[in-house]
Amino acid sequence: MSVIFESAARPLLLAHAVFAFAALFASTHHAAHAVLSALGRVQERELRRFGWIAPACLVAQALLGLALYPTYRVRVRAPDFDRLAPAVAQLFDFKEHLAALALALVLAAAFAGARQRRDQPKPQRWTLATLSVGGAAMLWTATIIGLYVTARHPV
Amino acid sequence: MDESSGGPDDGSRALRAALAGVAAFALGYLLPGTLQLPTLAYDPLRHLFSLQRTLTGVQMRYFSDLLTATSASLITFAIAWRFHWIKRLNRLKQAQGFSVAAGVALSLVALDVAYYLSRLLAAV
Repeated sequence: MSVIFESAARPLLLAHAVFAFAALFASTHHAAHAVLSALGRVQERELRRFGWIAPACLVAQALLGLALYPTYRVRVRAPDFDRLAPAVAQLFDFKEHLAALALALVLAAAFAGARQRRDQPKPQRWTLATLSVGGAAMLWTATIIGLYVTARHPV
Repeated sequence: MDESSGGPDDGSRALRAALAGVAAFALGYLLPGTLQLPTLAYDPLRHLFSLQRTLTGVQMRYFSDLLTATSASLITFAIAWRFHWIKRLNRLKQAQGFSVAAGVALSLVALDVAYYLSRLLAAV
């Protein structure tokens, strides 16, 4: 029985990985600049730059991941993880939840960061930094789990 | 300055709306699954969408959960952006208002993470 996008699963997985790393490093840059901004350094240009690179890569990565998900569910999870390694199936689910929450945090931080002004009050700068660092931390965790699961059984 | 004019306070307005969007996303992502609300399930073998409370076989609800959370987030974001409601709730002490909004949004995200982590640990 055919699964949607199964014939393109491997190229999709490669593209998913490339965009995942691009999103990860762009979000990490955004988080670093948000923290520097909270510490009083002028970072408006950097926050605007990574404020579009990080969300663009993350949305592309998420769409590729969604396209891959049915193939994973049918060809990897059902025959392998559900029967032989249920903890890995749960670990993958946890990664998907982290990625979804990271998407919200990074998009929110990017939107607010791109509109941050030089005279923004310090508590607001720290709020932005917390959003951005939280999103980046979740992306790091999700990426490492994703690499582990893919190493065990790629699509 | 009126925030709708795009002046220096535009950053505060954007941050408030972003926090509202994050809070709504965290709630919209967690509640349908935990409350077992009917959701749009996709069967990748039969290529069919159906409304289900619980899943069977290889059916999946991830798309639906994401769609629900994103819709809730975008609607709340738009309302917060348009009406500045968080500021109105906290007009007297704006700094405190931001702290409360940030605390609520990040606590809801932390709640989601704790819930999914507990499910993972229960399976190990």
